[in-house]
Amino acid sequence: MNAEQWVRVREVFERALDREGGDLEAWLDEQAGGDRDVRREVESLLRHHSGAGSFLSAPLTDRVPGLLDEETQFQPGQRIGDYDIVRELGRGGMGRVYLATDVRLSRTVALKALPPHLTRDPAQRERLRREARAAAALSHPGICTIYALEELNDELFIAAEYIDGRTLRQEITQGRRPSSRDLLDMARELAAALAAAHMKGITHRDLKPENVMRAPDGRLKILDFGLALIDPVAGPFAATHVTQPGVLVGTPAYMAPEQLNGSPVDARADVFAFGVLLYECACGTHPFQAASPLALAARVLESEPRPIQTVCPDISPLVASVIDRCLSKAPRDRFASAADVALALARTDVPRPPTGVTIWWRAHQLAAIALNLGAAAFAWRIKEWQHGLPDQLFLAVGILATVAAIFRGHLLFTEKMNRRAFDAERRRAVPVTLGADLLIALAVFADGALLASARPLPAVLTMALAVGIAVTRLVLEPATTSAAFGSAT
Amino acid sequence: MSTVSELRPKRTGASGSGASHAAPRPHLDEVAPAVYDELRRLAAAYVRRERPGQTLQATALVHEAYLRLAGAGTPWTDRKHFLGIAARSMRQILVERARARGAQKRWADLDRVSLTESLVRASEEDAMLPALDEALARLERIDPEQARIIELRYFVGLGIEEAADALGISPATLKRRWAMARAWLFRELSHER
Repeated sequence: MNAEQWVRVREVFERALDREGGDLEAWLDEQAGGDRDVRREVESLLRHHSGAGSFLSAPLTDRVPGLLDEETQFQPGQRIGDYDIVRELGRGGMGRVYLATDVRLSRTVALKALPPHLTRDPAQRERLRREARAAAALSHPGICTIYALEELNDELFIAAEYIDGRTLRQEITQGRRPSSRDLLDMARELAAALAAAHMKGITHRDLKPENVMRAPDGRLKILDFGLALIDPVAGPFAATHVTQPGVLVGTPAYMAPEQLNGSPVDARADVFAFGVLLYECACGTHPFQAASPLALAARVLESEPRPIQTVCPDISPLVASVIDRCLSKAPRDRFASAADVALALARTDVPRPPTGVTIWWRAHQLAAIALNLGAAAFAWRIKEWQHGLPDQLFLAVGILATVAAIFRGHLLFTEKMNRRAFDAERRRAVPVTLGADLLIALAVFADGALLASARPLPAVLTMALAVGIAVTRLVLEPATTSAAFGSAT
Repeated sequence: MSTVSELRPKRTGASGSGASHAAPRPHLDEVAPAVYDELRRLAAAYVRRERPGQTLQATALVHEAYLRLAGAGTPWTDRKHFLGIAARSMRQILVERARARGAQKRWADLDRVSLTESLVRASEEDAMLPALDEALARLERIDPEQARIIELRYFVGLGIEEAADALGISPATLKRRWAMARAWLFRELSHER
């Protein structure tokens, strides 16, 4: 039957619906206009129309209300193979996790099974098997250990290390922000674990705070290799595509732009997710925060992340620069793999000072500013006392004090508001403040010396002030600075 | 994954279909919230007759539908086009769910002396879904509009007026086309196997 005939069939069929009584056969003959195919088709359709009853009349969900229902699976107390189910730990779209006891070894394990509506799906079963194989290939303290893959009748599940901890998602929602030092440690730990996977050719593809657990001893462990992609070249496994090419897998909020676009992904998609995860841990908000998941995905594709230094200025410049690079839109601009991330995080150790020491440094700077300006005021006082002292001496102290005070104020501001640029600014300011302070000390000392014959007591005090300024600059300031920032210059 | 061109409504004799192509494509960022709400609204319409505790599932459905949208490249041009993609997504989700529940095996085991009799047990109707899905794909090649009507009425659960509005045809026309699509599919499923 061709398209024209189909249109004819439809016209006749629809007219037949409105027809009232009379001889159907004759009417059909007349309507079909001699086209036997059209006539036969209309007749057949009319027959099935009257026999169809309520077929497709009510919406599917009225007919099968439980189609999207969740079903229960393992009950507490139930024995599955050699495992006693204790309770359900959690559920997601891709699986259920139960706490269980392995009765042979009497140890606690986590059982991961497919949700009931997927247990008979061959593709999903294969996915779970691959998850087990991928994670089992990885032996790393930062990756949850797989004990066994069990297949009992229809049930298929993974027995894995049970981590009695909390996920990073829980930490983020509870408002725990790691200190700058802790964040660096976390970043290094996670990068090392992820690097172990990448070096085996395994891409996680679903890295997010929900999939990282903090064990009671504080160690981080990556879970859920359920979407892992195994590179046939680098990896030890035969290539099998469990997910169809072009089908999106993962969690939209942690997907790299190329992943959202449905392009092929590699380890660099994990690097992107790693950047998002660290950003969230550091600041408590998503770098591409938006009102809805779709808007967020749009921002990932098209907008720049909110600069991490403005969202959380306390973060160390090293981690900030690593996160920035991880969040690059183009994969080639990111680190090639987590191993490179780990390397970058290890390269320069810039320990972030404990806040207390920074406060001392700030106090010192404020005191030095006061001392500088005090010296200038004092020089003015001496000039009033002792006519005949050269004006240049006072002018020199005044100008130098102003310059030094301005530079110190600038450093205080940079330290507080623009932490990333601070080290460079500090290096630039050091020669200026050093020179100014020493010249002020010299000039004030000269003032004191010239005052000596006329007013001996103020003269001694003046010279002592000069020595004090010099000592402060040469001894105390390097000490507070190195305590606060790790290097004296 | 279906391509977008397959999903685009092909209206017979509709003059408006060309206009949607000429309209400038909205910026993704601008339409995103509206699109998301629309999908959720659809999903809500879809589960509105169900028990209250199922909003979570509606959300899950929206997420899954969204993923498929994004996967398709998503150059939707207007609301109707979008509704078409959303309806298609929901159809796929439900058919897959039925498949995962072992629908094919149950369908094969079904004693189908008379399809209507076999489907009296309403809760078993999902066994039919994979077969219906394939039949719909065949119908789509012959008459895309009729396939879309079934999607909107049966899978999304829209009423006659709502579905007619979504397709830009009169309710009376929709009713007639729907009757024919039902008859055609009923025949396909009855004779199959």
